Amino acid sequence: MLARLDQWAARLTSLAALIGTLGLIAQVIVILADVIGRYFHAPLRGAQDISTMAMVIVVFGGMALCERLDGHLSVDLFEPHMPRWLRYASDVLAALLGAAIFFGIAWTVLESAALSRMLNLSTNIIRLPKAWFQYALAGFALVTAFGLSMRAAFLLFKGHSGRTGEVAK
Amino acid sequence: MSDMSIGVTGLMILVGLLVLRVPVAFAMFAVGFGGVAVLRNWDAATSLLASESFTLASSSELVVIPLFILMGNVASATGMSRRLYDAAYALIGRVRGGLASATIIGCGGFAALSGSSVASALTMGKVSLSEMERFDYDPRLAAGSVAAGGTLGILIPPSTGFVIYAILAQESIGRLFLAGVLPGILLLTMFIVTITLMCWVRPGLAPTGPRTTLKGKVHSLLGALPITSVIVLTIGGIYGGLFSPVEAAAVGAALVILFGFVSGNLDIAGLWQASKDSVVTTATVMLILIAAHMMNPFLALSHIPQALGAFLSGLALPSLAVLALILLCYLVLGCFLEGFTMLVLSMPIFFPVILALGIDPIWFGVLVVLTLEMGLISPPVGINVFIVKSVAPNVRLGEIFVGVLPFWVAMLLTLALLFAFPSISLILPNTMIGGG
Repeated sequence: MLARLDQWAARLTSLAALIGTLGLIAQVIVILADVIGRYFHAPLRGAQDISTMAMVIVVFGGMALCERLDGHLSVDLFEPHMPRWLRYASDVLAALLGAAIFFGIAWTVLESAALSRMLNLSTNIIRLPKAWFQYALAGFALVTAFGLSMRAAFLLFKGHSGRTGEVAK
Repeated sequence: MSDMSIGVTGLMILVGLLVLRVPVAFAMFAVGFGGVAVLRNWDAATSLLASESFTLASSSELVVIPLFILMGNVASATGMSRRLYDAAYALIGRVRGGLASATIIGCGGFAALSGSSVASALTMGKVSLSEMERFDYDPRLAAGSVAAGGTLGILIPPSTGFVIYAILAQESIGRLFLAGVLPGILLLTMFIVTITLMCWVRPGLAPTGPRTTLKGKVHSLLGALPITSVIVLTIGGIYGGLFSPVEAAAVGAALVILFGFVSGNLDIAGLWQASKDSVVTTATVMLILIAAHMMNPFLALSHIPQALGAFLSGLALPSLAVLALILLCYLVLGCFLEGFTMLVLSMPIFFPVILALGIDPIWFGVLVVLTLEMGLISPPVGINVFIVKSVAPNVRLGEIFVGVLPFWVAMLLTLALLFAFPSISLILPNTMIGGG
């Protein structure tokens, strides 16, 4: 059961990273088209709107993969001096805390998205609705929270994080 | 319980979580959120969480981060560092210690592409260490030059360190990039002078290298031309007013990708991997930035920065002495904390003091980024030293730390020069953009 859930977490992580990577490539293309267009007096309308909203996709799209690859910075100066049980306890604490933070981000941003929809908030030039990107952010945060919950569950019930550095293709 | 006691308790919890290896961003989120909830209320904390997450992730200025990271990752994947090194090698490899100096120049060139010290040390280490071993260089000099040269990545623009500082201090990225140019060149020169002096005192450290024919020199220099063009176009474009930093980063990334495809050193799979790596690195950096913005209101509400400012003012020291004290704190902290972590943790505390003392924030940014660089090669957690160790497994860690010591002294001298002569940092931003 746990392994199957983790497999789903890995698949969703890969999907989120794929969307984030596409977002980054889109950013390069859009800004480049704008710069080239500007020198022909035909800048891309709304390039800044697209690139800044794509940034939301890039940043939170990569968050779950970053967690899965243990990419978040931590201070490991005292690790060699920590007893094994304390290392285990701190791993569980970090995973639970991380899951709570990302659930919190998802929940608060979802509420904020509802407000944005109600007020019809959008970007300045081409009027991209901000709520779309807030929903995307919340979705990616949920995927990350799911991954961190799986990490915590593996640590608590199996005694290891279940991470091999690999993600589902 | 007073606001100040809550602030101090929060900081103690933060330190406790960091000691327990909880990721820095998670620890800052928890303390920032909890602190605001206690000092204000739950609604203020949840609304801060939502607004900071979305506002920072959709900040137009921060678009520069993934793009410069992408440019560096693609440059690394396409072997551009090799070409830079070959060009420097052809020019000065013949001189005693020339290969180590070529490594420093190569690192400086790569730094102008990548903005990351770790990437500079890793890619240049792979290229240059085997060459220096082949020509019987002392392993301490070889490893030390790579570890120290790599640190140029966060001083020479485009620098991720400056971007992060700019966001935390709400300063102009363009001004900070300009401010880093002369100090970067000065530090690079100091490193080369250090190598020359070491080889002059102890000629056995590095034999003279092989002579390169004129044809070989021309060939190597032509090989580095595309990379040099990318550097000149992107960095020159920012300074010449052609591009904003974001546009320069996108143009640079596109040119590096184009060069990779044309030269046959990059395929779709390589580009995809470099892009995915860039997304992951961006997530790491951005989560810490968002977390730092959760901590700032908590610290402001607890009045800790004001109390620290009042304490330092009470010491009746001149503002430069206070600045020196703060830099000393950074030097000590740099021995134990990763540079980026140290920056986001300390800025909310020290920066209001710097502003209150009337110290130029651009100048302070350059000094702080240089101290972060020193932390990259300071024991026991100098990350560049571990990077070099990963590409030179035969050299003992202790030897690498001994090897970087002369370069650390060179950095300290550079820091002293930049401290004594602020105009080295400020002349370019003030003359090209105007007073802040």
